[in-house]
Amino acid sequence: MRSEQEANRAIERYADTVRRICMIHLKNHSDTEDIFQNVFLKYVLSTAVFESEEHEKAWFIRVTINACRDLLKSFFRSRTVSLDTLLDQPADLTETDRTVLDAVLALPPKYRDVVYLHYYEGYTAPQIGQILKKNVNTVYTLLNRAKQALRETLGGDDDA
Amino acid sequence: MRDELKTALDKVTADDALRQSTRAFLARQTGDFGAAKTRPHTARRFAAAFACLALVVAGGTGYWAYFSPTCAISIDINPSVELGVNRFDKVVSVEGIGDDGEALAETLDIRFLDYADALDALLADPTVEGYLSQDEVLSIAVAGENEAQADAILAQAETCAAGTRNVYCHAADSAELEHAHEAGLSFGKYQTFLILQSLDPSVTAEDVQELTMRELHDRIAALDPDAALTLSGGYGHGSGAGNSYGAGNGTGTPSGNGAGNGNGTGQGAGAGNGAGNGAGSGSGNGNGSGNSHGHHGGH
Repeated sequence: MRSEQEANRAIERYADTVRRICMIHLKNHSDTEDIFQNVFLKYVLSTAVFESEEHEKAWFIRVTINACRDLLKSFFRSRTVSLDTLLDQPADLTETDRTVLDAVLALPPKYRDVVYLHYYEGYTAPQIGQILKKNVNTVYTLLNRAKQALRETLGGDDDA
Repeated sequence: MRDELKTALDKVTADDALRQSTRAFLARQTGDFGAAKTRPHTARRFAAAFACLALVVAGGTGYWAYFSPTCAISIDINPSVELGVNRFDKVVSVEGIGDDGEALAETLDIRFLDYADALDALLADPTVEGYLSQDEVLSIAVAGENEAQADAILAQAETCAAGTRNVYCHAADSAELEHAHEAGLSFGKYQTFLILQSLDPSVTAEDVQELTMRELHDRIAALDPDAALTLSGGYGHGSGAGNSYGAGNGTGTPSGNGAGNGNGTGQGAGAGNGAGNGAGSGSGNGNGSGNSHGHHGGH
């Protein structure tokens, strides 16, 4: 079991990442809280040794995505939801932010992960393949389709 | 698009409350990081499994408690029917013994009734009533491991039977019940068979299967009238008939009493004046028509 210091450090470092993944998957605050508890408890109890910070971060992303999926699998849920219920601080978001996030949330769940990992975290397709345990070519396909869908909704050009 | 997404997502952060509650949760779950070694996840999973197990066990026990008969009511005319009564006094099984017994059991719709209602329904059943009106004997035997319940059922059966002729109730014990089933007889019949066998050792269970209760009783009565009395606390039926039409031969005296001394001295075989409720209804049926059409006919 890891120490309290380690746990606190992990929370400081990865809370935002976990929160973003929750945001693109879940619809309400109490689910998010569940995920937080699960993920960090798993971290504290885990005996995995991390070679690097990158490795650790990838571990968190992987665990969070799985936790979200498990949670979604265990309930009957509707897939789309308005941003206001998703975010505790919606006031900070500009009109553009909302449009972009809405567009991402409108994507089927399997596209959301690759979009997040690619555009936000900056992972390459092979890395994403590793994290999501998917074939690289599958990731490329997912990315392309996601891009296309986003382009359709947002209309803007694509710089990726 | 990448930048827009980045700016938008950058604003999504975990607030302090969330971090704080996660820390508190971790401390709670891990017993302040190591003080307690229990793994809450495992505990929770066990709790769920245990709850499921408890549910299954409870369901199973309920099913078993409801559907396992604790008492048997055996009803015999010659169609024989056995009712299984569970611990909640409900009839959970209706089983006919022999072909006609099965046929009767199928016409009866008394499953899941209270046994009292079931007995009422059974006595009111057209088939059963038909038998009874033909002067057949119906015996109700109650056997059960739970004596208190068996006694209660027997008392109830007696109440139900009180209004009906030729219905007799008796108690039995469950070991005999098993023997009866082995012999292919319903319980009430088996008991009667045992009495008959004690009088006539050559009788076998197969012989008895086809006989009605009335025939059994008659055979016992023929062998030993006293034994017949032990069957059900006095049972007898006069089959004599003496209906003196009188036609007395008035001997001139105006007070011709008719004095019809019909020959038919009713010889009720059972003459059951043993333990009380035997009612020899012997009535002579002398047809002796006196001649002498005198003035005063006999009354």
